[in-house]
Amino acid sequence: MFDHGQPSYAEVNKDVLSVMLETGPKYWMLLGTTMSVAGICFFMPWIYQLFVGVGAAGMNRNAVWGSYLSNFIFWIGLSHSGTLLSAVLHITNSPWRKAIYRSAEAMTLFSLMTAAMFVMVHLGRVWFVHWSFPIPNQMGLWPNFRSPLMFDVMAITTYLTASSIFIYMGSVPDFAAVRDASTGLRRRLYTIFSFGWRGTAREWHTLGWAYTFFAIFVIPLAVSVHSIVSWDFALSIVPGLHHTIFAPYFVCGAIFSGTAGIVTVMYCLRKFLNFERYIGQVHLDSLGKLLITLSLIWSYINILELFSSWYGGTSFELEALQFKLTGFYAPLYWEMILFCAFVPLLILFKKIRWSWNKMLVISILINVGMLTERFIIVATSQPRKFLPDAFGFYFPSWIELSITVGAFAIFATLFLIFIKWVPAISIYEVKETLKPLRRDA
Amino acid sequence: MSTFVEKLRQYRKPGYYDKFDYHWTMTIDLDRCTGCEACMVACQAENNLPIVGEKRFAENREIKWIRIERYWEGEYPDVKMRFIPMLCQHCDDAPCETACPVFATYHNQDGLNTQIYNRCIGTRTCAVYCPYEVRYFNWFTYTWDEPLEQQLNPDVTVREKGVMEKCTFCIQRIRIAKDNAKDDDRRRVRDGEVVPACVQSCPTEALVFGNSNDPEAKVSKMMKNPRGYKVLEELNTTPSIVYLTKVHS
Amino acid sequence: MSKISRRDLLQYIGAGGIGVVGGVLYGESVQQNVELLIPQVVPPEDYSPGVATWYNTVCNQCPAGCGISVRIREGKAKKIEGNPVHPVSQGRTCARGQAGLNALYNPDRIRTPLQNVGQRGSGNFEEISWDEALTTVGSRIGRLKIDNEASRVRLLCGRVRGHLDELFLQFMNLLGSDHYQQYDFTYPSALMAANKMSFGTDVLPYYDIRNAVFLLSFGADYLGTWISPVHHSLAYGHLRQGREGRRGKTIQIEPRMSLSGAAADEWIAARPGTEGLLALGIAHALVSEGHYHGSDRDEWSKALQAYSPSLVSAETEVSEDKILRLAREFGTSTASLAIAGGATAAGTNAVASIVAVNALNYLAGNLSQPGGIIFNPDPAFSATAGSRQAGFQGMLDLIGAMKAGDVDVLLVHDTNPVFALPDNVGFRQAMQNVPLIIALSSFRDETTEMADLILPTSTYLESWGDDVPDPGVGFPVASISQPVVATLYDTLPVGDIVLSLARQIGGELPIHMRWGTMEEFIKERWREEYDQRGSEGEEQEFEAFWQAALEAGVWGQPGAVAGDQPVPLSSSMIASIADPVSRFAGDESDYPFVLHPYLTATFFDGRGANLPWLQEMPDPMTSVVYGSWVELNPVTADELGIREGDVLDVESPAGSVRVPALIFPAIRPGVVAIPVGQGHAAYGRYARDRGVNPIHIVATLIDDQSGDLAWAATRVKLKLTGERLQIIKTDGVTRTLGRQILGPENDHA
Ligand SMILES: Nc1nc2c(c(=O)[nH]1)N[C@H]1C(S)=C(S)[C@@H](COP(=O)(O)OP(=O)(O)OC[C@H]3O[C@@H](n4cnc5c(=O)[nH]c(N)nc54)[C@H](O)[C@@H]3O)O[C@H]1N2
Ligand code: SF4
Ligand code: SF4
Ligand code: SF4
Ligand code: SF4
Ligand code: SF4
Repeated sequence: MFDHGQPSYAEVNKDVLSVMLETGPKYWMLLGTTMSVAGICFFMPWIYQLFVGVGAAGMNRNAVWGSYLSNFIFWIGLSHSGTLLSAVLHITNSPWRKAIYRSAEAMTLFSLMTAAMFVMVHLGRVWFVHWSFPIPNQMGLWPNFRSPLMFDVMAITTYLTASSIFIYMGSVPDFAAVRDASTGLRRRLYTIFSFGWRGTAREWHTLGWAYTFFAIFVIPLAVSVHSIVSWDFALSIVPGLHHTIFAPYFVCGAIFSGTAGIVTVMYCLRKFLNFERYIGQVHLDSLGKLLITLSLIWSYINILELFSSWYGGTSFELEALQFKLTGFYAPLYWEMILFCAFVPLLILFKKIRWSWNKMLVISILINVGMLTERFIIVATSQPRKFLPDAFGFYFPSWIELSITVGAFAIFATLFLIFIKWVPAISIYEVKETLKPLRRDA
Repeated sequence: MSTFVEKLRQYRKPGYYDKFDYHWTMTIDLDRCTGCEACMVACQAENNLPIVGEKRFAENREIKWIRIERYWEGEYPDVKMRFIPMLCQHCDDAPCETACPVFATYHNQDGLNTQIYNRCIGTRTCAVYCPYEVRYFNWFTYTWDEPLEQQLNPDVTVREKGVMEKCTFCIQRIRIAKDNAKDDDRRRVRDGEVVPACVQSCPTEALVFGNSNDPEAKVSKMMKNPRGYKVLEELNTTPSIVYLTKVHS
Repeated sequence: MSKISRRDLLQYIGAGGIGVVGGVLYGESVQQNVELLIPQVVPPEDYSPGVATWYNTVCNQCPAGCGISVRIREGKAKKIEGNPVHPVSQGRTCARGQAGLNALYNPDRIRTPLQNVGQRGSGNFEEISWDEALTTVGSRIGRLKIDNEASRVRLLCGRVRGHLDELFLQFMNLLGSDHYQQYDFTYPSALMAANKMSFGTDVLPYYDIRNAVFLLSFGADYLGTWISPVHHSLAYGHLRQGREGRRGKTIQIEPRMSLSGAAADEWIAARPGTEGLLALGIAHALVSEGHYHGSDRDEWSKALQAYSPSLVSAETEVSEDKILRLAREFGTSTASLAIAGGATAAGTNAVASIVAVNALNYLAGNLSQPGGIIFNPDPAFSATAGSRQAGFQGMLDLIGAMKAGDVDVLLVHDTNPVFALPDNVGFRQAMQNVPLIIALSSFRDETTEMADLILPTSTYLESWGDDVPDPGVGFPVASISQPVVATLYDTLPVGDIVLSLARQIGGELPIHMRWGTMEEFIKERWREEYDQRGSEGEEQEFEAFWQAALEAGVWGQPGAVAGDQPVPLSSSMIASIADPVSRFAGDESDYPFVLHPYLTATFFDGRGANLPWLQEMPDPMTSVVYGSWVELNPVTADELGIREGDVLDVESPAGSVRVPALIFPAIRPGVVAIPVGQGHAAYGRYARDRGVNPIHIVATLIDDQSGDLAWAATRVKLKLTGERLQIIKTDGVTRTLGRQILGPENDHA
């Protein structure tokens, strides 16, 4: 379990809390960088776009959806695995989960937020976004519950709420640990955050069942979220999008890219926060096996999708299929197949699976592939629907590319802030996995 | 609660949309249409469609509520050009309507697919869902070179950036006709009283508009023409526009 | 012919049945240029906020003379529609007609009189007052008049009809100059000449497309640009689907498919320049196959001897079978009609071709028959329209006079020869020799830019006038133009300018020049016409008539259809025509392609290019907006390795233009087509520096018999420049890909 020797309870506290309590110039520089990138690449172009209109992006009359929505699905997808994986592993009682789940759940939260940002960026009149919430108003107007976008609003807000509660609940004993290890303002704050946690048996008991309850609750929620995101597309009758396989396809893809994302984040935690002792080979191995499984399912669904398009035999589907496989964006499609179907097969080799560096590369490639997948879904189908005369073409503008890059900086910023406020590794659960201490030690 | 359930039942009942007060319908005779595009300019004039400029046109950001699609058949010398005017089909089972999260587009009691600019938040989902590609988005706030704005039709809203728009079957003309009918102490609008701008201008009289609930209306008779068909009928959107196919001789 | 019965029309005129309110009061009330915050404290009778009024007037976007109704709200023009009682437009308009509002509210209108202060043509103008402008002109030409040098004053107009034409004439008479001429690129001079030859009259007949069953068009894009597009479109709709169980058929013969070609059942791309020969071949077959039964049958077969289908087939590259079939269908259809225009009427064989087409009509017995050619009665006004068209030859004469220094003052109104003449005739250069050029114009087009003095005219929507549509519709018709809105700027209707100038010149004014305004003048002339027509009566009677005519916008006499006129068409005519095959400028080995310039339904001859709605109206056949292109057959393009957007130098013996290539499936290999209309060097922000003008590289061959410019008789060569340019168009993929879009029967890709 622990590659570099088992730490003592005190060492766990110290290792984890030191990340929060000791802040060096490197951290500030990093935070400064991510915040500047987010400001320059994300917010400035967005503000410009708010002034001139969504025309600042590359979308046009035949291709009304573009990279903003690709990014939206990508980040929603990335959000999976975090909370979902954590919950599944919790109820299946997998001990290797304990070191990674806090960061994974944080990932869920932050990618959901980033995804929500893309909804805002996408909207033509974001200043009226509240109309998509069922807020009672004097006009007596309600949102349209038949719209998959409304399902989205519901699903995402619910998932965001549930995930937030889930991560918060699991952190309460750790907040107490922070409280105990700090003084002054921080102590007072964490007294509030920890709800006065004292660690009584009753408290542990309550936390235990509440946590399990939420874990069970969150699993169908996570599955539904990406199913619903897929319905934004599948409920249209657009050739290439109107596929019943879309919900499982999206869910599988989401967990796939989410898992790969976890590998990336784990690597960074290990590397930069010196968590080598807690995040070890066993995690990498398990995540690797999960990735292979997901990749195989993903490939299978892709083959199915191609098959049903071809088998359906309508001019609409065949055209869409042909464009996807051989059209302008075909190189991106084949890049996606390479990165998501073939590259993960390398993980079958133990030598690769056990190498942090190689796994980092693979995990990043998978997510590049998955980002491409989302782009292909949006960019190749809806500009070429039923009437050939109205066929169009979409290419992202530099504003979109910039915002795409900026989103990663937003995510990183949120994460950097997170590690200063919440223990990035669950202290008490890691301790649960420690072998009982020998008295003579 | 019970009224709510009742309403829901009624709403869910198949054919809910069949019982229109008026059912505004258009027929387009492709054997008459010459592709002259008078209808396009008429619509632009009537409905305050913007002049987007060369740059925006090059980016495919034009706004044309009615457009003429052109299809070539065959190769030289036996080559033929086929025109087909394409505008919102006012589908009775409109995919665009289910898509809109805020009811900015919905079906009204006259069988129109209406578009409420004020309510639109600009998700563009409706445009993706519409198989006829007749929804046009305001990528920018367009302006008119002074004094061209003096021509703007005061009966029609000028749209701002971020809003979806499309053919309304010239709803302002329908409203005026209804008002006139009311002022005249008539309950109903007579056949031929509502003439949308495109129909009005069409120099070959390819377009006919009217209330298909009235069996005596010209449009009802045109719809019975054996050449009649609906574009992409297999998608089951139940369009309100019946095309009459071109005759081959 | 027209769908409106005599009774309807009279009813409309009598009762003012469409509820328009008379324009006289309105016209009086809006004679103000100051814009007030609250425009009218005591509003005019017909001004109520929120309520629209409609005024009938005449469209001026092309010479067809459609009647239009303009919707006015709060004193602003909002919409143009066809005038439902006008027999030409019958309630419809074309796209150009709609876009008239863009002319009225065009941001680039000339708003005050302007004086050139820089070099001529440099575009440096300074605002001056009307008084100053009129005095300058008046004193200058007044002096010439006194010096008996008035013939050094020339007046050049576009196509001006109705009483404005008479006013111009009287003005020139007053001066003592007989140099009043008109030039309109689209004026069917060859058609006039050929009809004069065939029928002895150069009034355009009425082509009864509406009642035809078989329409054979030699190059005439009757649905887009030829003579009276809206009227023909109405007729076409009727021909196709207006008669229960009897669908008319149309055939189009032209090297590049036009709108009318697209609408046709069959499109035949004969070898360019041989269309007239094809007509003779068809005529030969018609006679030899026994479809002609006239007593002079033998003479005709003798006259047509040289044009046997087999020979004609070889020359025209139209199969013999097809010629025989066309002859049979044309000869046996109950109502067949052949028309000629476009490139067919713009070769060196233009008149010959049209005469051949006229002969076809004669042989098939289509003259003075429903669905055939119907001869118009005398126009409603005694002044015949078009008789002052200078034609190309007249323009060459004018250029010669200018070059020779014989012109002191050139008055130009509503015509743009700098744009609409080939570069190498040197109109622009010749203008440099004229000491004073005065433009009466609403827009700063290329010719106006050359003026020393610009007298800004009000647009047709702000002016009084009248019109006799040409061709007529088979019975006498006259339309009234009235201002539908208050004049926007410090401009004057052209008639009022002429009247003011007449007063400036001084001397004894002839009776008609004494009227203060065009409005009074028109009304007085209508009164005279009214009296002349034997409707003498009390004053009151004319007032009522005038009021009704003003409301209806048109007056007509549907009953007065011309009787059977003797048609002096004999077989000897065939012998008297020139070579029925066109010659081309440029050697085929050096210049392998025939240049096919064509008028567009969007810009017509270029006058629509300053209207943004038209710039944004996709070209009907190609969907291109905002630019020019050269069309190539796909096979030709393939052979030359040319892709869409490759910029080509199109070089003729007379010049060259640089324009991107567009692959066009319906053009004959060996022919390249460039639309006319773009390529303006001036003419406002929407037109300027956009595309190219193919007229500029047309070689100056002329039609053998009419002396008109043979603008379709130039050969060109193509050179790839290596540059590329995005052609802006709305089309995606222009094949149906087997989808059910055009209807069940059309389900083939
Ligand atoms: N276009 C137009 N503008 C006008 C006028 C016009 O005729 N046309 N008339 C002018 C005149 S004379 C007037 S008095 C003003 C009136 O102008 P406003 O006072 O703006 O009048 P309303 O729109 O009638 O009502 C205002 C709001 O009060 C809400 N309301 C209704 N009952 C209650 C209540 O019990 N409590 C609260 N808190 N809110 C309630 C309504 O839902 C509505 O949103 O408009 C002036 N402006
Ligand atoms: S044509 Fe398109 S926009 Fe119009 S009702 Fe149908 S789906 Fe909606
Ligand atoms: S763009 Fe507007 S109308 Fe269309 S779905 Fe979105 S909110 Fe509704
Ligand atoms: S019905 Fe009205 S809104 Fe619709 S295309 Fe015609 S003119 Fe435009
Ligand atoms: S105006 Fe009429 S004929 Fe012309 S393109 Fe439109 S529908 Fe066709
Ligand atoms: S054909 Fe068109 S441009 Fe010409 S007069 Fe008629 S409406 Fe005007």
